[in-house]
Amino acid sequence: MMQRKLLVILENKPGALARVVGLFHQRGYNIESLHVDPVKDVENYAEIENSLNLKLKENEVSRLLITTTVSDNLLRQILRQINKLIDVLIAKEEI
Amino acid sequence: MKLAGNDMLIKSLVDEGVEYLFGYPGGAALHIYDAIFNQKELQHILVRHEQGATHAADGYARATGKPGVVLVTSGPGATNAITGIATAFMDSIPMVVLSGQVASHLIGTDAFQETDMIGISRPIVKHSFSIESAEEIPKVIKEAFYIATSGRPGPVVIDIPKDTTAPDKLFEYSPPELVKIRSYNPPVEPDSEQIARAVSEILKAKKPVIYAGGGAINSNASKELFELNELLNFPVTNTLMGLGVYPAKNKRFMGMLGMHGTYQSNMAMHNADLIIAIGARFDDRITNTPDLFAPNAKIIHFDVDQSSVSKIIEANIAVFGQVKNSLIELNKQLKDKIDSIDSTLIQPWLDQIDEWTSLHGLNHELYKENSDEKKIIPQSVVQHVYQITDGNAFVTSDVGQHQMFAAQYYHFNEPRKWINSGGLGTMGFGLPAAMGVKLAFPKEEVVCITGEGSIQMCIQELSTCSQYDLPIKIININNEALGMVKQWQDMSYGGRHSESTYQSSLPNFIELVESYGHIGFKIEKNSDLRGILDEAFSIKDKLVFVDVYVDPDEHVYPMLVAPNGSLKDMWIDKDKKV
Ligand SMILES: Cc1ncc(C[n+]2csc(CCOP(=O)(O)OP(=O)(O)O)c2C)c(N)n1
Ligand SMILES: [Mg+2]
Repeated sequence: MMQRKLLVILENKPGALARVVGLFHQRGYNIESLHVDPVKDVENYAEIENSLNLKLKENEVSRLLITTTVSDNLLRQILRQINKLIDVLIAKEEI
Repeated sequence: MKLAGNDMLIKSLVDEGVEYLFGYPGGAALHIYDAIFNQKELQHILVRHEQGATHAADGYARATGKPGVVLVTSGPGATNAITGIATAFMDSIPMVVLSGQVASHLIGTDAFQETDMIGISRPIVKHSFSIESAEEIPKVIKEAFYIATSGRPGPVVIDIPKDTTAPDKLFEYSPPELVKIRSYNPPVEPDSEQIARAVSEILKAKKPVIYAGGGAINSNASKELFELNELLNFPVTNTLMGLGVYPAKNKRFMGMLGMHGTYQSNMAMHNADLIIAIGARFDDRITNTPDLFAPNAKIIHFDVDQSSVSKIIEANIAVFGQVKNSLIELNKQLKDKIDSIDSTLIQPWLDQIDEWTSLHGLNHELYKENSDEKKIIPQSVVQHVYQITDGNAFVTSDVGQHQMFAAQYYHFNEPRKWINSGGLGTMGFGLPAAMGVKLAFPKEEVVCITGEGSIQMCIQELSTCSQYDLPIKIININNEALGMVKQWQDMSYGGRHSESTYQSSLPNFIELVESYGHIGFKIEKNSDLRGILDEAFSIKDKLVFVDVYVDPDEHVYPMLVAPNGSLKDMWIDKDKKV
């Protein structure tokens, strides 16, 4: 078990945040801290833009930072579950 | 073309190819209902309870592969739909549910019949939308159908505030040509290197099993699965959700696996050295105790949903993509290596499985009992129905012992013919699901194998069947008890039947169905069983309800030993554990 920091980039749409947070509860994962804000510094997300082959606009997506304490296997499962949400562009571990 | 919100909604559904809309009206949906009145392209089916609408749409979807569509009003209409949405979600069934909502300016005020449908349904939908303005209706409908049917299918809810469907404001109807959701890209084509790795494991296997589930049906992969096994000749088992994806009549088919799976299927899985999982998710009815599951098996897992792989049982090789496409690639690579397939390698394993089958396989000749000294046993009812329908019927079911008997003794040779709530286990599913199937396939035989407990959970739909002339057959396996609950109480609670019987409060089902205009038969004796069933099935233009009184003490076997058991630990009879 280790404390991990997750980065989730999701569409800035009504209900999108609730889906991510709700998922933690539904699947029995714990959230230790949560921070969310609209992404203004799109220039810092070039890597994500490239990997998803798209261009982000200011305030169009939200950034979610979550800390949680989980095993490696569970981390992989959580990330897959979050990535499956329709409004999520990417969820990954922030290292 | 300029249209109001309500007409745009209906036009969008018609453009998606929707034939039937299963629903129930109410205040928040009345603009939409007015638009339905003014058109002839899609037919609305008025159910008697919103749960019935969702199950009927679900049955339609399972039988056809097309999404089922539901329309309900806000508040109680929406909450009544929840069980059916959860049922579809658990089994990955494509469905679009339109729920009326109070007008936008009232949201959040605890207005009359306001409920947070998006919030209530969030954990049981693939996705949901709330309409913000009438203009976006065509786009949202298109996206909803795309999401519901692509990747791993599932239900999508669209919450529609009443003002967005008002008839007095017109908008240009211009749905997008193509749907592209940048944050949603389910895998389609498999990684051919993973398939190459799978091939090398397959060629080495001495004790392989193919384990195929509902995902293979959703992906329409039964032809590819069959071709795969023409090459391999491996033993095949199906989950409760997968029955029919591989023909039951094939000599390599071992029957269902899991909680009430056949002895040979469970033994083969436990002792396998290679398990090829195809659109199946290793749920707890299959694995029994995960730590004890198939200790010597390598796992190759084909699935469209990455989060289903290595969730419970770690996969050695994962192949993501539409299962159909993955199997096409697998078959291609195997054909290229056809000379390396050594069929003698698995012969001892096939012999072993035959031995297991003859040791404790199911008895498929129970129907021969015709003595009135004995009570009718429920399994024999299913066997007769199977024979009378030549194995060609669509069979829907409910939840309980009767469901397991149907799964064990009706042999499905084609996918989409066996329609049951596997994941959620929803009593009340069978009758409305059969309505959806019958509407889709009016010329086919549609049989609902149910129990007297389950049928009473949506029995109001008998009225819907009269309204739309749906001549389905209902076989009520009447053990005068919540049989499956009673079985668990017999096995784990010292036979204390807490609240699992009804004293003598059951209705006279024959009079009940007759009051709806249907035909009813009652069977109490073995010597009447076949004759009356034959007569019932000879009636083609009416709904027929057959109430068969069976031995209330019968149990479903095999049954996995739980907790702490593995797949090889089974009760195979009331007093015999292996
Ligand atoms: C809506 C719902 N409530 C409760 C259950 C729990 N349950 C599972 S099987 C069963 C008994 C079903 O009785 P019946 O339909 O008569 O079938 P039988 O087992 O007797 O064949 C119950 C209560 C359920 N699956 N669904
Ligand atoms: Mg019963």
